[in-house]
Formats: sequence, structure tokens, C-alpha cells
Amino acid sequence: MEFAAFADRAEAIEAESADTAITEAVTDLFTDAGPDLSTLARFVQGRVFPAYESRTLDIGPRLCYEAIARAAGQNVSADDVEQRLADMGEIGAVAASYDLGGQQGLAAFGAGGGGNDALTVAELDAELRELAAVDGSGSQGTKVDILFGLFSRCSSTEAGYLARLVLSEMRIGVGEGTVRDAVAAAFDVPVEAVERAVQVSNDYGMVAEVARDEGESGLATVTLEIGRPVQAMLAQAGTVAGALEDWDRAAVEWKYDGARVQVHFDGEDARLFSRNMEEVTDPLPEVVDTVESALDAPAILDGEVVAVDTDGDPLPFQEVLRRFRRKHDVAAAREDVAVRLHAFDCLHAAGEDLLDASLETRHDRLESLFPADSDVVSQMWLSGDSEEIEDLEAEALAAGQEGIMLKDPTAAYSPGKRGKHWRKRKPDVETLDCAVTGAEWGEGRRANVLGSFELSVRTDDGYATVGNVATGITEEELDDLTERFEPHIRSEDGRDVVLDPAVVFEVGYEEIQASQSYASGYALRFPRFLSVREDRTPDDADSLERVERLAESQ
Amino acid sequence: MFNAIVSADTLQATLDSVSVLVDECKIHLEEDGLEIRAVDPANVGMVDLRLDAAAFESYETDGGLIGVNLSRLEDIAGMADAGQLVHLDLDEETRKLHISIDGLEYTLALIDPDSIRQEPDLPDLDLSANIVIEGKDIDRSVTAADMVSDHIALGVDATEELFYVDAEGDTDDVHLELTRDDLIDLTPGDAHSLFSLDYLKNMNKAIPKDAEVEMELGEEFPVKMHFSFAEGQGRVTYMLAPRIQSE
Repeated sequence: MEFAAFADRAEAIEAESADTAITEAVTDLFTDAGPDLSTLARFVQGRVFPAYESRTLDIGPRLCYEAIARAAGQNVSADDVEQRLADMGEIGAVAASYDLGGQQGLAAFGAGGGGNDALTVAELDAELRELAAVDGSGSQGTKVDILFGLFSRCSSTEAGYLARLVLSEMRIGVGEGTVRDAVAAAFDVPVEAVERAVQVSNDYGMVAEVARDEGESGLATVTLEIGRPVQAMLAQAGTVAGALEDWDRAAVEWKYDGARVQVHFDGEDARLFSRNMEEVTDPLPEVVDTVESALDAPAILDGEVVAVDTDGDPLPFQEVLRRFRRKHDVAAAREDVAVRLHAFDCLHAAGEDLLDASLETRHDRLESLFPADSDVVSQMWLSGDSEEIEDLEAEALAAGQEGIMLKDPTAAYSPGKRGKHWRKRKPDVETLDCAVTGAEWGEGRRANVLGSFELSVRTDDGYATVGNVATGITEEELDDLTERFEPHIRSEDGRDVVLDPAVVFEVGYEEIQASQSYASGYALRFPRFLSVREDRTPDDADSLERVERLAESQ
Repeated sequence: MFNAIVSADTLQATLDSVSVLVDECKIHLEEDGLEIRAVDPANVGMVDLRLDAAAFESYETDGGLIGVNLSRLEDIAGMADAGQLVHLDLDEETRKLHISIDGLEYTLALIDPDSIRQEPDLPDLDLSANIVIEGKDIDRSVTAADMVSDHIALGVDATEELFYVDAEGDTDDVHLELTRDDLIDLTPGDAHSLFSLDYLKNMNKAIPKDAEVEMELGEEFPVKMHFSFAEGQGRVTYMLAPRIQSE
């Protein structure tokens, strides 16, 4: 396919707003792709290389501007291009706005290495791969030369999409889901089969070709490959209560304050990949050693690398990042900051893909890979008891970790999915400052002490309740608070007390949910007393509007 | 097999002529000398170079093709003083080039020739005008044009029998004329083409100031420049594609 034809199609796709029409257009593109199918499956997503590859074009915007400027000549500078970008806002439009075809190639005169024909998708792909391979001194200049040559062969439409492709800013409304659906539609295979093959391979180009050439049965043979990282399964924010509601039992793990790594061990050597699928083998030699000495069969593991100080206590996340980025003098960095692997999942063991197995099964396999005395495998507890889980969370926090992970023990491993099967439970970041508008006397020997407080937020014409807080307050604090509130008691009815708003509590919570139980229309879930805001009066307590906004952003 | 001794000056001139366009190149080892042909990554400028066996102090080969990193080789050649001799010896087994300069031994890893950009064809073009100009006048033209623009127009006025240079900047312009008397030779024919100064400046760097450069020009056609070095035992042809003016 000529690159001009691709550019025209990309332009048509970009002009579409309806998802179905976009998918249809991409489907047609794939159907007509011929030998360029795998390249086009990447190009529509603004990629030159499959997602699993660390390889990139390594072209900064400035180099791209320079190449455009040279092709745009005479007397156009990279600064001019940048200025125009500031005006137009998008590099594709900028590239398209110049007349770039002035500089002739030698091929037009029967010389040079390339043909005199129009730029094809295959030729462009080959040139971009050559560009990526350039390194050493003078490599930047060579990259600009190659790009300049390419831009010089482009019409304005082509130039626009070339610029976007080079800067990985394709933005024609084609996401991974569109490509998946289009591959399925173009080659008459189930969407799920495409999805699964992509999950295990991370290579849309290859999957598209297999779908076309070998159909559904071919897709089924696409498996994980040692050395080809897949996307990590992700977690969404969640609550203990929510998890137990959905699953009865939750698998609980500490949530480490570190960086995600995927470990690929081929039986002899271990390679490590970051969450962005960049290879981080060299910066983390002690993790490599750990894995290579413990494992004896090929495996793919998911885990977290944390930095620890000389006592083995965790250090902040930034310290791990410093190690990840360290390219030189790893030995010295290793002395400053040691890292430790906590493996928590096993995607592949000894020739067997485990993605479809349950978490419980995978974790058992993971444990079986390491010696009993190894501390590499992150401990996993199964519990249906919220108090026990809260204790685990407290332990995790006390150990300097971030919180806990709650996972569905029966769920499969879904690469790249931020689903509800994995949930992260971190201490509340947002707190609310609530006016205390009521209280309740305690029972038994605490009958003369206030034990539960009604929380309200400001409205336009007063206060509206959002919940009651009783947890997080020590007995000593309750005694103090009772003394403080007694002068503000407006009325009493049995144990219920109505208070004049006078004191502001800072309150933590797990989430805000819509509720008919309280006047505000919202309820704080699991509210916890944090402190008395001595610096605030009820007039500057949080408003209902803020509660609405917080509820919205959850 | 390749075993040769060459003066550092000749080696440097050879490498410089090619390195102004490419970082890596293939060197053809022929029985009667070396041949290098390369095109820049944008396919706009090319070089065709030949260095006769007679340019070497000694030269032995049974033919072959090697790929070299030019800047690496230039660095090594730069270690030699003018007039010093450089000994090149190819180890076929390890595919390494042993270079010795007065006790300094350097083993250069060669590049797989297949990984180097394809060599271009050098077409015969029917170019209407032909001039012979001194290298220093090319240098003067390029330097003048570079003051105002990033492009340079080269032309021949057949009626007036003169070679001219035009450069248009955003505000300032440069015009330079060389008559038959200023040139070494002129075969008139109307010619006018616009070229990127980036390329011409680089080529100019490799053209000796005292060289006689034969320049072939046409109407919106590539320019060809031929010159000799190493006392006539080395020959270079540059060819540069024009920019077509849209207005």
C-alpha cells in the first residue's frame, strides 16, 4: 500500500466521530492491507514497533521540527516550525501546512538507492526501523537526514500523518479496542479470541496476521513467550466492605510502595521489564541473582521491587526509580540503595501458561517455585472477616508499606485490565471537615459520655448530615470531647443529643455514597475520627458542594 | 586479503570526502584500487570515489568488500602526523582491520556490509552546462550564500557566458558572477538549479581549495562535481539533487 493511501484513510477515520464507523473504516483498511497488515495495525495506533518492544525511534520533537524545516525550505528554521506549532496546536497540521515536496531525491534522476516511485508503507516502515537503529556519534544528524528525506517525499496529507507517527501522536480516534474489533470483523474471528491473543503477545501486528492467515484456531495457539513482556494486570481503588460483598472471601496482600516488574526466566537467564515494558534487567542485578538462583524452570512472574535501607526497612518509591534509571555504575548505586523483589503472581511456569488459572492456583504455583525459606514470595491471606483484614492493613502500614491489595481469589490474570478483580486499599487521602451537629450518649458504664457524633456539611441555608462517627476516638478523647460539647447541647431526647454547631472534626472515610439516610443525600462510608480542627469554625466546615464533587471523582 | 600502506594525508582526504555525506560506508577492494560509493540517508547527495593502487606506498588485495564506521576510522587516521604512513591489514577471519601508525596498533571492528544503506547508481545525465572552477571559488560562493540563506542557486548564462550564484534570504540577497576569465573553462548552456546549502557546505569542506573542479549543471537538475586528489590518483564525483521551486 502506498503511504498516500494510508494517509487518506487515516484522514477519513479521523473525520469520523461514530465508533462503529471508525471500526468499519479500520476493518476495511485491514481487509485491504495485504502484506502491510502488521505494519498498518501498528501505524493506526501511532506505533512503529510492537508494544512489548523497548525499541523506539528516539526522535525528540525538536529533531522532528528540524526535519520538517529542512524539507519546508527555503529559509524555514526549526524555530519557525515551533512557532507555527504554538499557533496551530498540532504537529500534523503544522507539517501539512508546509509545501514539503521541493527537495528532490536523487532517485527522481535515476540515481540513489531507492526507487523513484511513491513512498510505500513498507518502505516507510523500513526507513523508520533504520532510523531507530542509528546510534553512536552523529546519530541525531543522521536521524534528521532520514526524516528530512521522508518528509521531502510526502504530500501535505502524508506529511501530517508522518509527523504524528514519528512523535507517537497519531490520535485518529483508533484505540486498542478499535483495532481488536476491526481485526475480528476483517477476518471473521471472535473478538474474545483476538483479545486473548493480544493479551498474551502484546503484538497487534502479529495477531492481525495470525487472525487473517490461520483464523480462530491459529489465534488459540498464540501463547506467552519468555522474554516478551505482557501488560500488567491493574487494580482499581476499592474497599474492604465492597470486596467482601462481591466475593465472600478476599485474597489480601500487602501493597508494596515500589515499582512493578515482570520477571522472565528462560531456565538460565532472567530478564526484567518495567510496567512500561522497558527492560530493566541491567539496573537490578540483585533481583536477577535472586531469580536465577531460586528458579530452575522457565517462568514469568509479576511482582514489585522495593528499595530497602541497610536494616531492610522500605524506602520511598523514588529510591526504586533511581535504581531503575541507573544505567551506569550500577554497583555503586546498589550499595546506596538495595532493592528486593516481592513476587505476587505467576503467569507461566515450566511450559504452562497460567493466565486462565485462578489467583489461588497461581499463587500456589508461585510458592512452589521458591524454596520454603525464601522471602521472595509475597504472603497472601484469604479472609472473609473485615476486622482481620483491617488488622492486616494496619500491619502493612506499620511495616512502612502503602496499604493492602484485595483480590478475587477465583479470578484469572487479565493483562492490561484495570478491573474490579484487583482492588487497592490505601489510607484515605481526602478527608472532610465536618461540623458536629449531634451526638449520642454511651451505654452502660459510658452512659454519661458522648460516644457517637453526627457529622454535617454546610449548605446554603444551614447544615446537612452526612453520617455518624464513633470509631477512631480513644476513651480519653471521648471524655475530653464530652466536656467540650456539653455547653453546646441544645436538646436531648433519650440518648440522642442535638448540638449547636461549634466544633469541626476532620474525618476520614472509605468512600462517599448516595444515601437517603442523611439530609445531604450522601453518606460517608466507614467514617473515622482523625482530629478536632481547632483552626476551623463550623462556618468554614466543608460544603455539600465539595461532598458532591468528591463523590463524583471517586 | 588486503594489505596496504598509505600516507595519512591521502587516507584522511579519502575518508573526509565520503564522511561529509555518510557515517558508514562500504569499501570495494579491487586489484587496481579502492572504490567507495555512498548516498546520504535522505537520498539527496551522493559520492563516488576512486583511489588508485598507485596512490598507495604498497597495495595488495585479491578483492573483497568491507564495511567501515567512517568517524572511527577518521579518528584513527587523525592520530598520524602529516606524511606519516598508515598500515592497513585485514584479518579475514575475525573481520577486523588492523591499523598501525608508527608503533600505534588499532584493531577496528568492521561492519557487516549488508547492514549499510544500499549503494546508489550513478546515472549519466545530459547536463547542458559545464564549467571548470577552482575549489577556492566554490568555497567563496558557498560562504557568501550561507550568510543570507540555507539554499543556493547555481546557474550558467549561455549568452553572457558566465557562471552565477544566487542566494535569497528573508531580507538580504547575495549574487556572485564569474566570467569565462575567472573560470578555468566554460562550456556554455543555459542552466539554473537550486540546492540545499547543508549539503553543498559539507561537500565544499572536502574539496581542496586548489583543486580544479569540473561542475556540470542543468535546468532544475542535479549538479555533478568532479575533482582529483592525491596527485591525480584519487578521483571524487559528488552529485546533489536540486530543490524544485514551486512558484
